[in-house]
Amino acid sequence: MFEYLVFFVFAAMAIIFALVVILHRNPVVGALSLVVSFFSLAVMYVLLEAPFLAALQVIVYAGAIMVLFLFVIMLLNLQHRHEPSTRPVQQFLGYTGAAAFLITIVYYIGKYAVYTMPAGPFHADARSIGLALFQAYVFPFEMVSILLLAAIVGALLLSGRAIGHRTGIGTETTEEPAGKAEVSR
Amino acid sequence: MAFDATDIVLSIVKIAIVLSFVLSVTPVMAWVERRGAGMIQDRPGPNRVGPFGLLQPFADALKFLTKEDIIPAQANKLLYTLAPAFGLLPALTTIAVVPWGRPFVIPQMTIGGHVLFTGGRLFEPIIADVNAGILVVFALASLSVYGVTTAGWSSANKYSMFGAIRSSAQMISYELSLAMAALGVLLVTGSLRLSDVVWTQAGSFVLFDTIRVPAWNCFSPGMWLSMVVFIAAAFAETNRLPFDFAEAEAELVAGYHTEYSSMKFALFFMSEYMSMATMSAVIVTLFFGGWGIPWYHVPPTFLGFLLSAIAFLIKICIMLFVFVWVRWTIPRLKYDILMRLGWKVFLPLAIVNLVIVAGFIAKGWI
Repeated sequence: MFEYLVFFVFAAMAIIFALVVILHRNPVVGALSLVVSFFSLAVMYVLLEAPFLAALQVIVYAGAIMVLFLFVIMLLNLQHRHEPSTRPVQQFLGYTGAAAFLITIVYYIGKYAVYTMPAGPFHADARSIGLALFQAYVFPFEMVSILLLAAIVGALLLSGRAIGHRTGIGTETTEEPAGKAEVSR
Repeated sequence: MAFDATDIVLSIVKIAIVLSFVLSVTPVMAWVERRGAGMIQDRPGPNRVGPFGLLQPFADALKFLTKEDIIPAQANKLLYTLAPAFGLLPALTTIAVVPWGRPFVIPQMTIGGHVLFTGGRLFEPIIADVNAGILVVFALASLSVYGVTTAGWSSANKYSMFGAIRSSAQMISYELSLAMAALGVLLVTGSLRLSDVVWTQAGSFVLFDTIRVPAWNCFSPGMWLSMVVFIAAAFAETNRLPFDFAEAEAELVAGYHTEYSSMKFALFFMSEYMSMATMSAVIVTLFFGGWGIPWYHVPPTFLGFLLSAIAFLIKICIMLFVFVWVRWTIPRLKYDILMRLGWKVFLPLAIVNLVIVAGFIAKGWI
């Protein structure tokens, strides 16, 4: 009974905040809503008795990726200007595509996922996930690591070329803030 | 999981105990911080309100409550109001996975022939003994950055903004070192559960056939590197000097909380000290034997529980004093040095330590 209550509250939160991400004009509000949505998903994992997955969900998505997103949004200082839509055809195609995708995914999840869920709690502790990664799925795991390594090397190469002689990530922030900010407390 | 009414009552008791500890940290530490600063800088510190200035925190609290609460006109009002809560939440909840005493068997309690409490139940002094304990600590610690970034961004102040940006970059960098440094301990323990971490540090090992040393991780040579890295990264995670770049009052006025006043500012103040206390508890659990008492086998009785809880509290207090001590001893680093230190010194050191510990385990030395 209590679990149902928690489930419905956090499921509703996950959906509502996911909607806020797409509907809200302000990118920072969107990013923060995505964090709340991820956190609600983590609660789902706790309800499935997989706290390990829940912790990983929060660490990886809410704690690392979204902090990086927020960092970039704030660094670029994106304003929430209302931009008039100039391409009605593309807009129409976008909406129809999204609607078609939604209908398909709801249909297939409704058809397959709901009925084939295992009844008991699944084993998702650190040990079984580690064993699965390094035994059954060791080849895809290594492939992903190489892909990530390639991405890191590529990012370093690009930033090195763009920045040139500048040394590191901290150089731009050691300068004085450009604006005339009010100094008040 | 099956639980009955007794479990719920016990949980509420545990939560009440831990919450009252975490909430009382702030006033005590506010006093210790200032008197400590005075001691280190060879001046008296606050000594007007009450004996030894002990009532100063109450005066401060009164001041916070009576100050005007200002929201800047350009600020995003919703996020500006929510930001202190974002900061407070992780600081309050992380300590739930830390064990704070020896589990003991509750004896049967009777009042006047009426059985009040059926005995034989094990009281485990930990709110949530999840099998991913240390990961929960990292997850909630990584969420604490949102309080800072939201506050900094929503204030519509350039200094606050810089504090927020710095804080998010710093948090991403130092989280890695923090987790990597803790991995050595977890390898030795063979479990992510923090109560297992404490149990593996129980007892003692004998040095040169004469000296009995507590089997704490801080006395194991393989852990020294990771202990230094973990404590340094913990300073960075809790935004304490020498890593308090979100605040950096010499450069950014007051950093992310420049615009905050009244109770909202007090909440930031509180969450800083609470996360300090939580981090101290985690450091003590990982490296200093948790609730263990050196050279003493804690019995599974109420007395043993009480002694171990007091031992844990004393260790936390020592660690908190180290936080204060370091703050008033080491000056703030430059921002680029902070980044270089995180990525080029601490992270490699943590990885080297992981290899060392793994080698020790392979050799069977630990």
